[in-house]
Amino acid sequence: MSTATVSNSPAKWVVLPHYAFAALAFVALSVMLLFSTDAFSGHYFHPKLLALTHVAALGWATMTIFGALYQLLPVVLEGRLYSERMAVWAFGLLGAGTMLLAYCFWNFQVGWLLHAAACMLFLSFLFFTINVVQTARQAPKWTIEADFIVTSAIWLLLTGLIGLLMALNFTLAFLPQEHVHYLKLHAHLGMAGWFLLLIIGVGAKLIPMFLLAHHTDTQHLSKAYYLINAALVFFTFDHLFFHSDLLPLYAAMVAAGIVLFLLYLRQAYKAKLRPATDPGMKQTFVALGLLLLPLVLVFVVSSRLGLPQALLSSVYLVYGVSIFLGFLSAIILGQTFKTLPFIVWMHAYENQVGRFKTPLPKDLFSEGLLRWQNASYLLGFVLLVAGVLLNRQELLLGGAIGFTITSLLFTANVFQLLLHKTQELKPFTYGSANN
Amino acid sequence: MEAPTTETGNEVLETLKFIIDPEIGINIVDLGLVYKVSHEANRLHVELTLTTPGCPMSSTIVTAAEQILQNRFPELAVAVELVWVPMWTPERITEAGLLQMNSI
Repeated sequence: MSTATVSNSPAKWVVLPHYAFAALAFVALSVMLLFSTDAFSGHYFHPKLLALTHVAALGWATMTIFGALYQLLPVVLEGRLYSERMAVWAFGLLGAGTMLLAYCFWNFQVGWLLHAAACMLFLSFLFFTINVVQTARQAPKWTIEADFIVTSAIWLLLTGLIGLLMALNFTLAFLPQEHVHYLKLHAHLGMAGWFLLLIIGVGAKLIPMFLLAHHTDTQHLSKAYYLINAALVFFTFDHLFFHSDLLPLYAAMVAAGIVLFLLYLRQAYKAKLRPATDPGMKQTFVALGLLLLPLVLVFVVSSRLGLPQALLSSVYLVYGVSIFLGFLSAIILGQTFKTLPFIVWMHAYENQVGRFKTPLPKDLFSEGLLRWQNASYLLGFVLLVAGVLLNRQELLLGGAIGFTITSLLFTANVFQLLLHKTQELKPFTYGSANN
Repeated sequence: MEAPTTETGNEVLETLKFIIDPEIGINIVDLGLVYKVSHEANRLHVELTLTTPGCPMSSTIVTAAEQILQNRFPELAVAVELVWVPMWTPERITEAGLLQMNSI
């Protein structure tokens, strides 16, 4: 018989500020979207689009993931976080770096301020990666989920390094190829290397856990891990040195990896004992459905189909929108209300359990707001994609309004959780617990 | 787990039903997390597990079980032990637990 250890959760001040910053970044992103509808009618290398993309990728998605991961890493790796101080530094640098970077791109100031922002972000990623790798090194048991998470952190660091070099290249012009060439590498390492691998690693652990579907067959996950990483390595070398026509092959390898992950989740779904009826889980499945859109579009943007330039530009934009405002945003909107209520509840009530009748995590936020949030999100996303494809300003504006409503509902619920005060509780009167 | 044969054992289980798994929303007894209850002389020993290793609730649930049992049985020396073997599987959820879960 093995005796278990005590909880490995980090302090709440390490985790919770990430959620607050991310929620405010989502509001900022939506408001910026309201004033950027004109930017969606041309090439993706546009100052406003660069600002929007980085607020979405860094302030919204990466910030949420950092916070959630500091809480989840001890669960997945069964050990304590290596350094809480390093996590706080990574948070500060990511927050400050994101705001500076967004300001620089929006106003297209590509001088020393942009260099400083890129340096801050790279340092933040470095601290984060060291923290993840060192935590993993102490893990008593290594799993495929740990492989995904650690590798994703390394890809994040590489993405940040390429970003830093590109920021410096704006003024020093030392890179041999044109800027957009490296932008494609930077974007795809970030999207598939950081976000996709991370979400697969965490999702493979959490989604079956939430569904109460225990199954240990991780063959699909292992294959997905090797396929996606091999595709990223091949793509990186090809893009830098060979410029072959094999991009659709690498895209197919990533797509096959995603399909294997979805098959793994399908097994879990079939074995579930718990119905997935809460809005958080429903939104998670919406996100997984939305993943199919970039899965198809990646073949269009990586193949030379001879599409008219205007249509190709729109497809590129929809591809980006479907990842940052589609899959990534949808999964954050759902999973935040599967993880944050529990974290807040644990810090507020862990000492009261067993002495008083406590509320449950789901009682700490408004499920009604969450349902409205999910509905306005889906409407906003559909309008935005339609607006980009049809190049219609009124649809784009409608989409931006949908996202703004979504962000306000989301932020109201997140701050209701973050500002939760421990309630006065009634002590137990022993009788039948089921009454 | 095997049903306790003593009255105290049954009371222990009834008392532990006050502890609700916050994520799933059903009590730890019907969730099948309580593996063993033994009562000898003035010592009460409980073995329980969690749904997943590394669960952030580990210390919370152990402390909660100790507190609630100590309050309920002040005359006994209570010891709650967290164990991982055998590993918990969803098949351990009782019929009452499944009913509670589907009604949430």
